[in-house]
Amino acid sequence: MRIAFAGNPNSGKTTMYNALTGRSEKVGNWGGVTVGSKEYKLKKEYSGSNEVIAVDLPGAYSMSPFTPEESITSEYVRTANPDAIVNIVDATNLSRSLFFTTQLLELGIPVVVALNKSDINAKEGTEIDVEKLSEKLNCPVFKTISTEDKGLAEVIKTAISLAGTTQTAPYLQADINLHDKNAVDAEDRKRYNFVNKIVADVEKRKVLSAETNSQDKIDAVLTNPIAGIVIFAAVMWFVFWVSQAWLGPLVADWLVGWIEMFQEWVAGSLENSPAILSALIADGIVGGVGAVVGFLPLVMVMYFLIALLEDCGYMARVSAVMDPIFKRVGLSGKSVIPVVIGTGCGIPAIMACRTIRDERERRATSMLATFIPCGAKIPVIALFAGAFFAGASWVSTLSYFFGLVLIFLGALLIKGITGYKYRKSFFIMELPKYKVPSLKFAFKSMMERAKAYIVKAATIILVCNTVVQVMQSFNWHFQVVEEGAENTSILASIATPFAVLLIPLGFGVWQLAAAAITGFIAKENVVGTLAVVYGLTAFIDVDELEMIGGANEVAMAMGLTSVTALAYLFFNLYTPPCFAAIGAMNSEMKSRGWLWGAIGLQLGTGYTVAFLINQFGTLFTEGHFAAGFVPGLIAEALMIVALVLISKRVRSHFDEQYELHKKTAKAAA
Amino acid sequence: MNMATIIAVIVLVLILFLAVRYIYKEKKKGNQCIGCPYASSCQKHSAGNSCSK
Amino acid sequence: MEDKKTLMDVEPGMTYTIKEINTDDEMNAFLFRLGCYTGEPITLISKKKKSCIVVIKDGRYNLDSLLSNAIIV
Repeated sequence: MRIAFAGNPNSGKTTMYNALTGRSEKVGNWGGVTVGSKEYKLKKEYSGSNEVIAVDLPGAYSMSPFTPEESITSEYVRTANPDAIVNIVDATNLSRSLFFTTQLLELGIPVVVALNKSDINAKEGTEIDVEKLSEKLNCPVFKTISTEDKGLAEVIKTAISLAGTTQTAPYLQADINLHDKNAVDAEDRKRYNFVNKIVADVEKRKVLSAETNSQDKIDAVLTNPIAGIVIFAAVMWFVFWVSQAWLGPLVADWLVGWIEMFQEWVAGSLENSPAILSALIADGIVGGVGAVVGFLPLVMVMYFLIALLEDCGYMARVSAVMDPIFKRVGLSGKSVIPVVIGTGCGIPAIMACRTIRDERERRATSMLATFIPCGAKIPVIALFAGAFFAGASWVSTLSYFFGLVLIFLGALLIKGITGYKYRKSFFIMELPKYKVPSLKFAFKSMMERAKAYIVKAATIILVCNTVVQVMQSFNWHFQVVEEGAENTSILASIATPFAVLLIPLGFGVWQLAAAAITGFIAKENVVGTLAVVYGLTAFIDVDELEMIGGANEVAMAMGLTSVTALAYLFFNLYTPPCFAAIGAMNSEMKSRGWLWGAIGLQLGTGYTVAFLINQFGTLFTEGHFAAGFVPGLIAEALMIVALVLISKRVRSHFDEQYELHKKTAKAAA
Repeated sequence: MNMATIIAVIVLVLILFLAVRYIYKEKKKGNQCIGCPYASSCQKHSAGNSCSK
Repeated sequence: MEDKKTLMDVEPGMTYTIKEINTDDEMNAFLFRLGCYTGEPITLISKKKKSCIVVIKDGRYNLDSLLSNAIIV
């Protein structure tokens, strides 16, 4: 049996779904968190002896879709024939929600209405006559509070008992020609009149929504064009500082101590075993995986803080305040949400672009969202900040804000290439009520993602590290590589051709090239591979590193200056993301041209940024350009030529399109 | 061959086997990004190609 | 005909009746579903240079200037 959860955006569908199934799907206090359907079986305590599958759907305002994620919902309830529908209604906005409810009731599938967020209504003194509402809608209605598990059992019990019956609609759309816009409009108006009448009958409000309240005062500050942006920057800086410079490293230092002890113990136990085995286990597996796991505390603290941020209702305000700026570069205010989600993981960030209505804005955003370093890149940032910049917190802050700058520049570039196709891009964002973020939810979300991180480290990263270790230990004749002849190893011979390309960037050695390449499988691999190829683990033990005095062990082993280290770090941060994220980009863009454009743009950006940092950094610190300046310039010139060619082609396409439609558009293009 | 070596080899093979099996199983389920908590919503795109391919 | 006043031309803190909405078909339909259509009340909570905050039905929304200029009250 299948029960679908449908309702307006931000009515609490996913929160209820999580409570009923025990899952931890992403929730947040703004409309459009859920962008795809999810299903899972209900907990036994709710489903009883039946096998019941709950289906969580993205929020929708009506059955006629407006954005891509809304169409998932209307398509599902129309075609998948769920046995029952639980319609989650935001009780604080009954007058809007019932429009969709009356449409759902027409489908013939039994509907149970859950009046969610009843706690807020109780606080505001809004009373809803549940019995009367149930009678008017001709379906059962229950008050629920999904954040506290209240009322959920009744809703589900009723939905299960009604499954298979046929719903009679209280309001039926008249038989009209659905292609006639005026007739549809008139029908919709009638429907709204019907809804308004019900609301007037069942709802008693003490506080009118139109009255200015204390939340509006907060909004006035947070959406102020100047103060709002300063506050957003400060909040994000605080999140990065706590997670990557203060609390995170504090816990990480302690954790790394244990990992090192374990590694020493393993190495000690294998003293009498063949060197290759000891290397494989102690350096490859324990060292490589340990290096990645050591950064887990940083990632966890970050996820926790981001979850709090997403839960309180601030995100919608950020999106509102950033809209004018983003619009100027050809994106939308809604592009902010993928950017913030992208600090956790690039894949949900790319998927979150579905809430953007304009196709060009949507594609551009999903192309650029991964410039914001994701959770998997935190270990890379922390490693370089610790080894080359004495753990300076400005490195991580710079990485994020530079990512944001790249998004702006990239957006301008895309705008330039595609030739700004003028289209009115309206922006409307619901501002949900603020709420105190739930520590429990944030904790749960953090643990869920920590688990995912460990699973990833113990599977993909572990296997990759083992492969890297093996490839490094043997040459093509499958003989163990002699000490001093490391350049003959399989890994070295594969990575060297790539390393040559990286000479203008200042890090043209095969070890670093190999690490960058394995990074495409998962970005944590950069750290894992570096640990393996250089035989290092003490990556973030800042105190110890400082004792060696500036040029510490890690920095010495890698042979990088602080300039080239920064170039290498930024190269890894701003090149294409992992393959999984590229896959997500592919499925969201639905266009080969855009996908290759995105990969090309990201490769070009990573290369260019590293090239400029290396060459100009060396010029400032040493008074001359670094090696490979001219070849690098040639590579840059080639990229510019490619850009111009692509731009020409794309623009000529537009001209053709415009000419087919109307002659006047040509002047604009 | 001493005891430690034998144990180490067994542990190594076992860990690798389990890791590869886990990855293989997840891939077969269609999960492209191992461990990703969003994997389930990632494959169920109702429109267009999924993450696979 | 008196000159048309958009949301950007009126004083905040008051409730107005929507006289006309001039966006595209799709956007009009979307606004309709939020309860924003001709004849319905809309309350302007605050106004800035490039955006404003309104109450439609019982929800608060942030609109950009393009959209608020398209709503005639």
